[in-house]
Amino acid sequence: MRLYPLAARLAELLARAVALLGGIVLLGVMGLTTVSVIGRAISWSGPVPGDFELVEIGVGFAVFCALPWCHLNRGHARVDLFQPMLGGRLNRVIDVLADLVMLGAAVLIAWRLWEGMLDKRAYGETTFILQLPLWQAYAACVLGAAAFVLVAAFAIWRSIRALRGNAA
Amino acid sequence: MSAWAIGLWSFPVLLALIFLRLPIGLAMLAVGFGGTWMVTGSPLMMLSQLKHLPYGTFASYSFSIIPLFLLMGQFAMLGGMSAALFRAAGAWLGHRRGGMAMAAIGASAGFGAICGSSLATAATMGQIALPELKRAGYSGRLATGTLAAGGTLGILIPPSVVLVLYAILAEQNIARLFVAAFIPGVLAAAGYVICIALYVRIFPQSGGVEPRLPYGARFRALVPVLPVLGIFLLVVGGIYGGIFTPTEAAAVGAACTFVLAWISGGLSLRLTGAALLATAQSTGMIFVIILGAAVFNGFLALTQVPQTVAQWTGAQGFSPWLVLWVVLLIYLAFGMVMDSLSMILLTVPIFYPVLAMLDFGMSAADFGIWFGILVLIVTEVGLITPPVGMNLFIINAMARDVPMSHTFAGALPFVITDLIRLAALVAFPVLTLAAVNWLG
Repeated sequence: MRLYPLAARLAELLARAVALLGGIVLLGVMGLTTVSVIGRAISWSGPVPGDFELVEIGVGFAVFCALPWCHLNRGHARVDLFQPMLGGRLNRVIDVLADLVMLGAAVLIAWRLWEGMLDKRAYGETTFILQLPLWQAYAACVLGAAAFVLVAAFAIWRSIRALRGNAA
Repeated sequence: MSAWAIGLWSFPVLLALIFLRLPIGLAMLAVGFGGTWMVTGSPLMMLSQLKHLPYGTFASYSFSIIPLFLLMGQFAMLGGMSAALFRAAGAWLGHRRGGMAMAAIGASAGFGAICGSSLATAATMGQIALPELKRAGYSGRLATGTLAAGGTLGILIPPSVVLVLYAILAEQNIARLFVAAFIPGVLAAAGYVICIALYVRIFPQSGGVEPRLPYGARFRALVPVLPVLGIFLLVVGGIYGGIFTPTEAAAVGAACTFVLAWISGGLSLRLTGAALLATAQSTGMIFVIILGAAVFNGFLALTQVPQTVAQWTGAQGFSPWLVLWVVLLIYLAFGMVMDSLSMILLTVPIFYPVLAMLDFGMSAADFGIWFGILVLIVTEVGLITPPVGMNLFIINAMARDVPMSHTFAGALPFVITDLIRLAALVAFPVLTLAAVNWLG
């Protein structure tokens, strides 16, 4: 089966690219906030207007973008106390089920985020100071949420293969 | 089934899912979603909430401090600060018996002052100090136990991601919590150093002695450490002095460590990318739990379980101190198997209202601070207790020649000092509150 290695490569590539994009935006938030703080300290320049709102939007985007990478690397916090007692096969079954539930959550998050975006667009809601349309911030986050769905779908494939005895 | 019964049943279901190794945040999300569905009789309320809850949680100004502190920790790891700290502490302490292990504690405390995560502190200091301790003839037990315990100083000494989460959940002032954490953090480091001194007195062959350095060399070793002190004062002092918000402090701190790493030459494009990916991984992990906890706590509030339990406990006339100790023991037990962030997000919304109703002879504001520091300590103990102590695993994985059982045994004396310190901080709240009240 040659399809699986290709899917694994694509999932890795997608998750990495999205996480790096989120990370770069986080770096931007870091720089912007620092500039704003320095600007406020210097009386004649003042802070970056609306920095508060940009921080929220930027960090929100970075968090959505972090989800697929974390899931692909099995980075979630879990309690492994009973793992040795459950035995190899049962553990693999649980992995498949956990990945299925995670796909459900990912689909739910992405779908509702999309609906939320449509709401915000319909109401024309904007941020308070910069008057940025909120639906655009939601739309940007759809990127991370959609990548999360794709990676979560791949993760199920990966754990089913592990269950059937192929190396993960 | 009544809402109350659904609320009560959700706990065994949630715990079962968690112990079946479902990711903790996902388990909370699923139980909160299913529970709300059962209470309201339809999924509609949950579905409409979820249109804005994930975005609102991820893009919230108060939570934005977390990825920024994680980023700061990643840059701190690249900045060569850990090596400088270890050399400086070694210059001052190395000539004592067990001195290099004490130096590892001192360096971990210093690193904890610019890094808010225990795992990052343990990993960074382990990389630097483990080979040195081995070379100096320290036993595997003492070396791995020391570094695992030293790692907990990452969250005990502010800034601390765990305290940030507590502050948000219990609606406490982050600046006051950071200041309050300082003395208990220093006590922790001092306790660990005393513990090492006693350990090498009982087992003299487990620790080595390095040549004594002249004072000139000792002071010279301190110079490269000054930026760490500067960043710590800027971040914690800046928040406390009201110069900037906690989020701004985290951003400025991250920018400073970024510049520091860049100057020290530790920051290639590839490493910057790796730092961003590592930040993404921890960010993803934490925010899945935060989202799960938001959904689960929303569900619990709907069932009125926390309020009812709080009122019931208040009406029973239990001794407040007994209730406090029971809660702390529950934390210690959970900490053995669960990570600190999940534990805080799961339990603080339930325990805090219960305890806040009891009379400990202090103001509500003082209680919020004091309880936060106690929770911080008990969750941190969980990082170095078997069977699931993340710091133990991280350090043991680096010291291939040391069996896991030796690392467990090596950490045990440090756990004992943690418990003694916990008892002292419970008995004498002034240890925690003095700094906050003195600074006003």
